Amino acid sequence: MRRLITLALLAAINMLTAAEPRKIFDYPYQQHDFPNGLRLFTVPTDYPNIVALYIVVNVGSRNEVEPGKSGFAHFFEHVMFRGTKKNPPQKWEATMKAAGAATNAFTSDDLTAYHATFSKQGLASILELEADRFQNLEYSESLFRTEALAVNGEYNKNSAAPTSKLNEKMRETAFDAHTYKHTTMGFLADIKAMPDQFAYSREFFDRFYRPEYTSILVVGDINPAEVKALVEKHWGGWQRGKYTAAIPAEPAQKAERKAQVDWQVPTLPWLAVAYKVPAYSDSDKETAALDLISALAFGPTSPAYQRLVLQEQKVDVLAGGAQQRVDPYLFTIYSRVKAEKDVDAIRESIVSTLNGFKDTLIEAKKLDAVKNNLRYQFALSMDNSEAIADALARAVALRRSPETLNRLYALYDQITPEDLRNVARKYFVESGRTVVTLSGPKAK
Amino acid sequence: MKKLALFSFLISATLPAIEVVAMPGQSPLIQFRFVFRAGAANDPKGKEGTAALTVGLITGGGTKSMTYQQVLDAMYPMASDLERQVDKEMIVFSGSTHIDNLDAYYALVRDALLTPGWREDDLKRVRDNLKNAVRLSLRENNDEELGKELLYSLLYKGHPYGHLSLGNLSSIDALTMADLQAFYQTHLNQANLTIGIAGKYPAGFVERMTKDFAALPKGKPSTVKLPELAPLKTTQVTIVQKKTRAVAYSIGYPIDVTRSHPDFPALLVANTWFGPHRSSGGNLYQRMREIRGLNYGDYSYIEYFPRGMFQFEPDPNLYRRGQIFQIWIRPVEPPTAHFALRLALFELERLIDKGLTESDFEATRDFLALNVNLLMKTKSAELGYAIDSKAYGIPEYTSYLQSALKKLTHEDVQKAIRKHLRKDRLQIVAISDNAEDLKKQFLADAPSPMKYNASKPGDILEEDKLVSTKKLGWKPEQITVVPVESVFQ
Repeated sequence: MRRLITLALLAAINMLTAAEPRKIFDYPYQQHDFPNGLRLFTVPTDYPNIVALYIVVNVGSRNEVEPGKSGFAHFFEHVMFRGTKKNPPQKWEATMKAAGAATNAFTSDDLTAYHATFSKQGLASILELEADRFQNLEYSESLFRTEALAVNGEYNKNSAAPTSKLNEKMRETAFDAHTYKHTTMGFLADIKAMPDQFAYSREFFDRFYRPEYTSILVVGDINPAEVKALVEKHWGGWQRGKYTAAIPAEPAQKAERKAQVDWQVPTLPWLAVAYKVPAYSDSDKETAALDLISALAFGPTSPAYQRLVLQEQKVDVLAGGAQQRVDPYLFTIYSRVKAEKDVDAIRESIVSTLNGFKDTLIEAKKLDAVKNNLRYQFALSMDNSEAIADALARAVALRRSPETLNRLYALYDQITPEDLRNVARKYFVESGRTVVTLSGPKAK
Repeated sequence: MKKLALFSFLISATLPAIEVVAMPGQSPLIQFRFVFRAGAANDPKGKEGTAALTVGLITGGGTKSMTYQQVLDAMYPMASDLERQVDKEMIVFSGSTHIDNLDAYYALVRDALLTPGWREDDLKRVRDNLKNAVRLSLRENNDEELGKELLYSLLYKGHPYGHLSLGNLSSIDALTMADLQAFYQTHLNQANLTIGIAGKYPAGFVERMTKDFAALPKGKPSTVKLPELAPLKTTQVTIVQKKTRAVAYSIGYPIDVTRSHPDFPALLVANTWFGPHRSSGGNLYQRMREIRGLNYGDYSYIEYFPRGMFQFEPDPNLYRRGQIFQIWIRPVEPPTAHFALRLALFELERLIDKGLTESDFEATRDFLALNVNLLMKTKSAELGYAIDSKAYGIPEYTSYLQSALKKLTHEDVQKAIRKHLRKDRLQIVAISDNAEDLKKQFLADAPSPMKYNASKPGDILEEDKLVSTKKLGWKPEQITVVPVESVFQ
């Protein structure tokens, strides 16, 4: 074990100081592909005693292609806690509890992830327990219907925040055909209808909860060979499926779109300005260039931030950028504006700031500051096994490999001021823009 | 065992008056915690929010030699910043940096804390941010956190804990630069300060920090006298009228138990069985959400746990000499609001009457002994817990809890429940779009039967009969409706 500890430490230290090539994810991980399509990553770290297990299924709200089924991937995440014949929920809870585990799950556009962080003694029993629910999930219609209500409760608790509605409206307005049109929570009407979808839920399980969609990440105080043997034993017999969702392609947007949300409760106005941008890529420079632009244009050292937040103090939130997605999505800048009368001017400032990148080449020094920021930000977030597993899970959702992180960060290093100009000219166009505003009741 | 060995490396340097908790290690990520034993409890009367605004200006403003923009420009390439937390009796400045940038980062933090810039334009922005945090982030856009904070304010009325740590909208408006400077001079002193540091920092670094921070006034401890709280004579219900989809509840009362109290481990076991934070394993969660689908989750607490909707582990350095027992019912659909409250109270009564079974006690005790390691999963948290343990006067938290759990008996837990928890004289806060109607339902005390969208086992239906007809017995003077606009005004 001591050798591994030293290796992991060296990896972390070298991350920022070694000569080329500088790998951002430099942990000594192993990847193992099983014949059934299941993929295992083991990452020993020097954080003692703790193991973080993430099971990532490459299914999310992006796969919800059928009408009336929005929100189902997330709903199914809840259903996965309803047990099996061998391990009903209480037994599942008891096994997790015996390992001192903290457990949860989350769903996004492109992934559903189930995670547990626990004391290393629990690893064998938890890998067996999880293998059972991924292969043999079984629940009654009655429990299924009850769980649908908990999802409705989740919608309710989210609904007090105006940004939830702002995002809902943005997707609805910006997309016509692609499933990114709906949020991961789903349309409210579909959430209300969830209790009646029992038969469909079985089909959903059969389609997506299959080894070829699934990656297991085990990070922490582990012996990789032991982990591999355990996964082989409990997950090796899982049968491959044969379903692929046909995700509709989004047609090119022809003109600027606008929408307004009338919020019932007093709030400062919100503004979201979005542009259609390409899917995540770690092989061409566009994703990397857009990430750098968001930081240069609206980060805390940008001229726009300096003027709008610090000097004129007209907004108290100014942030955003491109979110990494499997299919083409949005580059969105959010702002909370302190006075309703300034909303139009702030929208103009955001648009003209991005337009500025089409003509003006950014100084190399500023570009370097952002590149450094991205590397140190990543390094500083890798401060425990769970955080490492979490970062890895998000990479696995995109490319099923941590190498995508290394490729992306290598691209950041290569980006030139000209690359920024090119990507700005290509994507910050009026016909690709969607603007959504949200404001509270007019003052009496 | 590893934890114990590690703790023995701690150096409690007492070169000048400043306490240091140092955890030297091999990580290139250097963690800092500057913790002052002062906070919102030291806000002068009528000047609520002074601690929060002072600290906000220190982290969100420039220094004597640099404008805030220059500070941001310097911090940005290192991806570091200086974070803050202001609670009743602790103020924390925390941050981390890669060892590559240690000197530059430390210089920025040192200057921020020792030579703040006190600029009016920074104050204007930071004041706006603070008011927006109260008005928007809390009062108008977050029903659940609103309910919890209001519960504290009601329980501690007239007490140094009795106002929102962020301050009230009107008091924040009235604060002047001189108020903030006076707070800084009086409370951010050496007597109140503990510096925490972890990572592969160089030899002599701790001495350098203690020498630098000796520039702060020596000062006196800021500990204020906490008066006895007037006990609640009856249950009090406060319903906040607010446009919202669902009904959120917070329920609680002060308890005598903090980490300093010998019954803390016993009560922690009881609470961890009843309503562990954001865990599906708790009894309350099982009865309310899993079996009945009433909402997204239901939890209970014996220590202050702000921002619970955004995080799974509590933040350290929220040391308090007084804590409350609290139940958090996440928003329920309005037609089930009456039933949900009855069920929460029914489960609380069952906890007090029956306690835990022997096997539940054992499973929860064993869970906690392992789970405590997860609280320390980052070095920053480990530093924070070490500083809290000093404040509470207990050994390092992991070993303290693990050794206490070893000695704990089932009877200890049952006794602690009976001694410290109760089923009556509660403060209840509800957030509802139909406050008057909810009040009418409570006063009518009529049955509130549950209708399900699926069949339920017979024992649940039987239990529902008891729950839905459970008499609350409240009188009109026990229920107050308040408009949301008046809260934290």
